[in-house]
Amino acid sequence: MLRVEGLSVSYGAVQALSDVSLDVPPGRVTAVIGANGAGKSTLMRSLAGLVKPQDGRVLFDDEDITGRKPEDIARMGIALVPEGRSTIPDLTVEENLKLGGMWRSHTQRGTSLTRVYALFPVLGERRSLGADTLSGGERQQLAIGRALMCGPQVLLLDEPSLGLAPLIVTQILELVSQMAKDSGMAVLLVEQNAATALRVAKTGIVLNLGQIVKSGPAHDIANDEELRHAYLGY
Amino acid sequence: MTNFIDYFLGGVSTGAIIALMALALVLVWRSTRVVNFAQLGQAMITSFIALTVRDATGSWLLALLVAMASGLVVGVIVYFLVIRAVKRLDTSGAIIATFGVLIALQALAGMVWGGDQKAFPPPISNSGYEVFGRTWPFSPYDLLVVVMLIVLVLIMTIVFTRTSVGLAMRASAFNPEVARLSGVRVSRMLILGWAIAGLVGAVAGVLVAPLSTLSPTSFDLFLVFAFTAAVIGGLDSLVGAVAFGIGTGLVISLVSGYTDSGNAPVVALLLLVLNLLFKPEGVFSHHKARAV
Amino acid sequence: MSKLSSLTERAPGSRLVTHALIALVIFGILTWFNQIVDPLMSYYLATAAMYATAMFGMTILVGLSGQVSLGNGALMAVGGYVFALTSLNWQTVPILGTPWNALWSMVFAGIGGVVFGLLIGGVAARLRGPYLAGLTLGIAVGVPAIANRFPGLLGGENGLMLQVPYPAGGYASIDDGFDEEFIDDGGGESFVDDEPIYEELPDEFFEEAPLDDSLEDPLAEEDMLTDDDFLSEDDFLTEDDFATDEGFESDAGSDPDSMAEEDMLTEDDFLSEDDFLTEDDFATEEGFESDIDPGGQEDFVDDPDLADSGAGADLDLAGVDSGFVIEQWQASVAVAVACIVGFLALNLVRGRQGRVWQAVRDDPVAAAVSGISPSGSKVSAFVVSSLFAALAGAVFAQILSYVGPGAFALGLSLSLLVGIVLGGRNSLIGAMIGAVILVWLPEFVLSLAADRGWEDQVTNNAPNFIYGLLVVLVVLAAPGGLVGGVQDLVKRVTRR
Repeated sequence: MLRVEGLSVSYGAVQALSDVSLDVPPGRVTAVIGANGAGKSTLMRSLAGLVKPQDGRVLFDDEDITGRKPEDIARMGIALVPEGRSTIPDLTVEENLKLGGMWRSHTQRGTSLTRVYALFPVLGERRSLGADTLSGGERQQLAIGRALMCGPQVLLLDEPSLGLAPLIVTQILELVSQMAKDSGMAVLLVEQNAATALRVAKTGIVLNLGQIVKSGPAHDIANDEELRHAYLGY
Repeated sequence: MTNFIDYFLGGVSTGAIIALMALALVLVWRSTRVVNFAQLGQAMITSFIALTVRDATGSWLLALLVAMASGLVVGVIVYFLVIRAVKRLDTSGAIIATFGVLIALQALAGMVWGGDQKAFPPPISNSGYEVFGRTWPFSPYDLLVVVMLIVLVLIMTIVFTRTSVGLAMRASAFNPEVARLSGVRVSRMLILGWAIAGLVGAVAGVLVAPLSTLSPTSFDLFLVFAFTAAVIGGLDSLVGAVAFGIGTGLVISLVSGYTDSGNAPVVALLLLVLNLLFKPEGVFSHHKARAV
Repeated sequence: MSKLSSLTERAPGSRLVTHALIALVIFGILTWFNQIVDPLMSYYLATAAMYATAMFGMTILVGLSGQVSLGNGALMAVGGYVFALTSLNWQTVPILGTPWNALWSMVFAGIGGVVFGLLIGGVAARLRGPYLAGLTLGIAVGVPAIANRFPGLLGGENGLMLQVPYPAGGYASIDDGFDEEFIDDGGGESFVDDEPIYEELPDEFFEEAPLDDSLEDPLAEEDMLTDDDFLSEDDFLTEDDFATDEGFESDAGSDPDSMAEEDMLTEDDFLSEDDFLTEDDFATEEGFESDIDPGGQEDFVDDPDLADSGAGADLDLAGVDSGFVIEQWQASVAVAVACIVGFLALNLVRGRQGRVWQAVRDDPVAAAVSGISPSGSKVSAFVVSSLFAALAGAVFAQILSYVGPGAFALGLSLSLLVGIVLGGRNSLIGAMIGAVILVWLPEFVLSLAADRGWEDQVTNNAPNFIYGLLVVLVVLAAPGGLVGGVQDLVKRVTRR
């Protein structure tokens, strides 16, 4: 569904990504893991259109979407949940959600909203309150909910575990994994917390200093102690 | 006491117009984090256009509509002139650009319409109502001004809080990146914001023109008042703009009445200085305005 | 300039010397220029130098320190008014044993600038971007309005007229008889203590431009009034023409005797021949009174060049060298001030303080961490630019011989901003280029207008329109102004 070919991104003199190629197939979670500064966020931002690559291509259903604007990419069906709290505190919970997917039909949006409230009940309870009243975990749910409102075929999750309690992280990730299986959505998960990521993912890709060092079944990577020591810090 | 009531009433319509202009400034600030000092030049030009239309057709209503339309257009044009500096994160450059536009607009007005003070006749009576055998400093025209303020504010509130477009505009102002990721065409929303601000400013200009005379520089003082009101209310706050716009109008009217009308700019300056000294981010705002 | 930098990097003292040399050389060139050109060019030079003085301050404030401020016009007003007030009111006050003169007025103008700079800077340094711009906008609009509030002291709407200080020093004061100076107060009195300042117009004045022949015998006898033209006794009503007691019909029973002879009009009550002008009262060919009033300075040719061309006699204004040209003098004052200020600016800009200002502009947090106080640096930029602006205002007052709210309105502040933006915000050379543009463009437009017959309203506003468009263009495409653009070009070329 989503294919990356030879992507290279640099910020001035710093080479953030070198010749990265990967596939994000539908119906499962693909995890990209690595230490801090490995280039994971850069990868996500390039895929979402926030950063322009110097080299390489991104193909979505065989269509070249490299260098397109973020809003166009979102409308095509690729939704990014960026790193950090990406909710807008000045808006209410429901407004934050309704921000996603405005180009879709009224019915589609209605259905999506119901689904999001079903997935994340606490959002439904607080729908008229300001987003700044939510806790960290709740805000992450809100961010994901907003992405889901775009009706995406590809969901890009950038470090959802940051600042969250492990239990909540696991909950969210398992939810997402289930969604992927149920709806055929392709999920690309980028995480510093490799263990949790590899538990829900089908495939694992290890990134180090902007390059792919290893890719394969998540299970194998999780069990590869040398790899873990070298690149994942555990 | 009667004096106080008089000055109070006299300040209401001025305050309403200042409120409208402050509203326009806040709209632009919220969408692009730029204070569009050229806003008043835009309003001045659209007022001149309105005057020309009115002289040609005799219809104030048509003049108002044309002014609104041209306000939209001019707002968009100025957006494109200024926005590149904003994207470059060159705040000084953006501010300088708005002043450049202001200078050019004033000069353009001077070239096309000349520098003398022109009279802009009001559409309805501008003499005070006669109630209880007394002429009050509140005329049918003042009532029209206040009504228009209320109508515009209502429409804008509904658009911003109840419609998708309004939501998109607000989100684009608060967090353009998240808005983009949600599929919102942020640049279009910014353009829309400037266009609406231009429209509101144009209305303010047409409304204020009959209250004094119209010339390329007659709005200069007005700019200071509107900016003062917007800043006191907090540049982010539409409510603040309206509230303090009216408040500023009242204060000016009271000061002019009890002392001398020449004191008005000094008082506005004083208000501005006091506000910036003690609460630069404004009364209703979330964000910080101070430097390090 | 990099060679220059490496020169000056060797020893800080040598940098000072180099800058002084630059300032002196420029002063020399401009002074020579001033001497050889006509008064109009001197006037342009004076105005450009005055603008440059203020704009050096803007370069520091807006360019290096990154604070967009519209307040400098108001600060020029402060300087101008202090200069005017001290020169008008403190003429006889000796300071440190020396008599008052223009130099002291300028010092006080500078002090006024520093004080106001501290006041404004204290508030403004805490503000960012648009808040700062808005505050200074308010100052620019408000301060001139203050002048209107004190018509007695500050001259109100009409401002104050000034006496231009002259090379001999001091000012003419009404109380001292002045020997060497004369007053230029805009064409008013030229006499003091009933003593004419100007010598009687010499006879040659008349010979050079003889009266028309037909006027030599201006009045012929036919033209003169004679007895017949005047009213005589016969033309007047006499007693006989009036009603007498007999024929008098009385109304309300008034006593006819009440109208006594004293009540009646007599010959004496009427105008007689003596009351009228006769031939003798009229002018004859001899003794034709001269009507010519030795009026204000404007009536006289003061340019030595023109005097030689034979348009008038070689006038010798009492005690003042006829080679004296007021525009040249004003220009020399303006140039001197500009060079001194320029020297100061050069030292600041290319020295440590300049780097500090730029560091705070670019990254206040990093600067703070390095031990620099960001707000202190911002205030210092304000104070320096205010000082320069005030001095420029004092020079402006001398050029205009006048201060008033209209001279220091918002447009002045905007012009200063336009000047540095077009020339180059970060460069002193840019400030000088901007000053030249501000003086040259309106004249250029005037000449275009003359050729093409534009209306007044177009000609008057066209320069501003062009300025506005250029400013927007510069911000869009070449933020460094002219100087910045050239530097970029050079970089691009030398990179290859």
